[in-house]
Amino acid sequence: MAGQIQGSSPVALSIRNLKKVFRGKGERVTALDNVSIDVQEGELFTLLGPSGCGKTTTLRCVAGFEKPTGGKIDFLGRDFTTIPSFRRNIGMVFQSYALFPHLSVFENVAYGLKVRKDPRREIEQKVDGILQLVGLDTTKKRKPSELSGGQQQRIALARALVYDPQLLLLDEPLSNLDAKLRVYMRGEIRRIQQRAKVTTLFVTHDQEEALSISDRIAVMHAGKVSQIGTPDEIYEDPHSIRVADFIGQANFFECTVKKQERGLMVLTFPSGERISLNSTSAMLSDFPHPNGVLFSRPEQIKVTPEPGRPNTLNGKVKSILYLGSVVRYFIEVFGHTIPREVLVDEDRRIKGVREGDEVGLVLDEDDVRLFPPDQKEQLQKESS
Amino acid sequence: MGGGFKERLRNIELTTHVVLGLALLILLVFIAYPLSKVILNSFLEAGDVLSLENLTLANFSQFYTSTLYKSALLHTLMVGFLCVLFSCLLGIPMAYFVAKTEVPFKVVFLTLGTLPLILPPFVGAYSWVLLFGRQGVINYFLDRLFGMSLPDIYGAPGVIIAMTMSYYPFVFLLTYGALLSADPHIEESAEIMGASRWRVIRTVTLPLVISSIVAGALIVFMRAVGNFGVPAILGGNFYVLPTLIYFQVTGFFNLHAAGAIAMVNVAMVGMAILLSQYVTAKRSRATITGTTQAARISTSKILKWVGTVFCAGVIFFSLLPHLTVIVTSFTEGWAGTRYPTKFSLENYRRIFEIARTPIRNSLFLATTATLVAAVVGTLLSYINVRKRFRGRWILDLTVMLPFILPGIVVGVAILTGFSSGLIILSGTWMIMVIGFFIRRMPYIYRSTMASLSQIDVAVEDASTIAGAPWLTTFRKVTLPLMAPGILAGAVIAFSTLMGELSTTIILYSAKWKTITVAIVEYLFSANIGPAYALGTILIFLVLGAIFLANRILGRRMSQMFRMV
Repeated sequence: MAGQIQGSSPVALSIRNLKKVFRGKGERVTALDNVSIDVQEGELFTLLGPSGCGKTTTLRCVAGFEKPTGGKIDFLGRDFTTIPSFRRNIGMVFQSYALFPHLSVFENVAYGLKVRKDPRREIEQKVDGILQLVGLDTTKKRKPSELSGGQQQRIALARALVYDPQLLLLDEPLSNLDAKLRVYMRGEIRRIQQRAKVTTLFVTHDQEEALSISDRIAVMHAGKVSQIGTPDEIYEDPHSIRVADFIGQANFFECTVKKQERGLMVLTFPSGERISLNSTSAMLSDFPHPNGVLFSRPEQIKVTPEPGRPNTLNGKVKSILYLGSVVRYFIEVFGHTIPREVLVDEDRRIKGVREGDEVGLVLDEDDVRLFPPDQKEQLQKESS
Repeated sequence: MGGGFKERLRNIELTTHVVLGLALLILLVFIAYPLSKVILNSFLEAGDVLSLENLTLANFSQFYTSTLYKSALLHTLMVGFLCVLFSCLLGIPMAYFVAKTEVPFKVVFLTLGTLPLILPPFVGAYSWVLLFGRQGVINYFLDRLFGMSLPDIYGAPGVIIAMTMSYYPFVFLLTYGALLSADPHIEESAEIMGASRWRVIRTVTLPLVISSIVAGALIVFMRAVGNFGVPAILGGNFYVLPTLIYFQVTGFFNLHAAGAIAMVNVAMVGMAILLSQYVTAKRSRATITGTTQAARISTSKILKWVGTVFCAGVIFFSLLPHLTVIVTSFTEGWAGTRYPTKFSLENYRRIFEIARTPIRNSLFLATTATLVAAVVGTLLSYINVRKRFRGRWILDLTVMLPFILPGIVVGVAILTGFSSGLIILSGTWMIMVIGFFIRRMPYIYRSTMASLSQIDVAVEDASTIAGAPWLTTFRKVTLPLMAPGILAGAVIAFSTLMGELSTTIILYSAKWKTITVAIVEYLFSANIGPAYALGTILIFLVLGAIFLANRILGRRMSQMFRMV
């Protein structure tokens, strides 16, 4: 299956059928429901999902702060669940950074080494080295409270890496930074992780962050893994409406599906408009249902100033949003039946297209996906 | 399967269980056991063994038959209620003036208004006699100038005045805190709707702070009905339950009868707690918000001057007994003459001849008990905050019980628990340390709980994941971060232990007399000079400890008592 083990690196962290049930006041909440993940050695693996999806619980189970109700966590052949947290040799960066407020920057970073009873000389060398790596070698004597958010974040990273852990856990480490710093720091984390060559499990709810930083991503929902794959696979080839909807912007169109010979398919929309696709993709040609939901990303649709041409959808420009790198068109289709807004991203403004104009939409045959209709209903039921 | 038995044993965090288990065991042995034993004993006649058919109400029968018992019961209730009433009459207006008007010297009022809580009430009690007694200064001048005299200070008036002046700060400080934190927007909106100032106070402000007033009143009641020292010194023939308990223990060594009286005393406290909960539950108290908005201040000049005179008056009057103690300690023979005649250090010279042992004992016992309470209290609050388990309220209740119970009841319970049976400690210093420790641990437990809940759990997790076992994390991260809370609690524990009398009077032995016992003995034998010299030493020891802690913590004294 795509997105599972690829390449030559052996598996470092293996999570098998992980289960976690929280017991509250006469209530049982299943936080993790058979989560299975393999993380390769040296890989930056991301758990991505909305809050409450179980990503942090998975991380805390790996750290040993939560005891799994069932399942196995193996790391390099050792059964992690029988080893207490402090012996797992893990580095961890917390959402709140959790720096020791009573210790200086140096003492914070040196903490793990002192606990390991390293010789003094060695501790100083290692701390200096790691502070250089994170680009903060001038603030050793200060207290964490005197540092900026970005600096605290680097100290937290340095503290987690200084004792050469075999596994690095990052729990939403960027969520407390402002937008610009967040983008910068995620690049830094990637750079430092690559330099340290440490197997990393990264937790975030920010899909852009996940796409930009990860080797592979597990998209989670309601305690389950929805899909595992590289950022490209997750974005371009989502296996379900849920993943397609959660990652990036998505357009969905209900339609009926009629197959014709040689891979040609005819899709009929509620408005009666139809388009035919000549697709080579297995996902389209093997589609078994008579009805479906067509999925297309905003940048996979083209706006043409002339409506009414064959194989296009007709619509009316509701508004145009200039976003800098792209221009986003909000276009209403199926106007006389069930109006639906479509997002189209173009690299630049299309000449002669203004708000209120009638336009045609051309779908990229190679990129569109079809999903079974029941998935959409399920998603709508949950969100209402 | 993780590498054999040895490694698996290594992987269980034994220290966690041992250390925390030990703290719980101490709780069980030193609080739960003696308290249950005194309850059981009160339903058994002296000499009977515990069995179902031996259970009896005989120990309680004297509350029917004896007029002494009946009157002591009534007296105790009367003292409790009147102290609450007068404390409210003094404390609530004072809180209003300091919080809501332009009264000057607010910090001074707050600090001096907290002092009576730290200064042991019985030390100043006899001063009321010196000042207002039949032979006292005031009466002398009243007689000389107007030919009139005050009613006898001994008995109910003295007891109630002395206690009120010692306990009103509870109402004052709690009400003051609530007034400060009540959302000023609520009052403003009432005013905009056209309510007069008095109407706003009555219909808006008062309901907002009522739960705090009730909490303060409850503490006053609990202290008043459990106080031994003041009625012992000023009561004369006016008996209350604590003095009655004392006579059962020292006169007849009948712990069963003492236990029964103690149970009645406890029932009184219990009823007061229920009553206060009933009163506050009927009113909504959800409106006290932690707004950053400062409390609105009345600009009235009249209120300012009335307030200043009122606050200064109350504070002067409440500190007068202790000032009298200090002044008298430097004189020769006030008692007997109308007013101080000759100033000297004679009293102190005598003290250092006859009372070195009590001073040493007090310092030793209070220090030891404070240290034990700091260790155990810190561990127990850690268990409560960090180890989520069902039935934590049992832990909470057990720790807090000795705080709620009258000191003399705690004394009887400890004596009952450890003067017979498995552990016999009566007559030793250890039994006193146990009594001291369980009575004052709640201070440390509460203040460490407050500072612990401020610490992000992730900080401890960060230490664990960095490779530190539990004990290392506790020592290097948790403990340093809790230190201010521990210190604040320990200082209050230590300074109030130096002036502890109610528990001490039941547990002390000839060899282990404390400063407070010595003071009471001197007072009973009319050795006012030495008693007051010792009292002065006590006052300055206590103030010194508080001052030092304030310096280290950078907090004001009134803030340290906010949690009490």
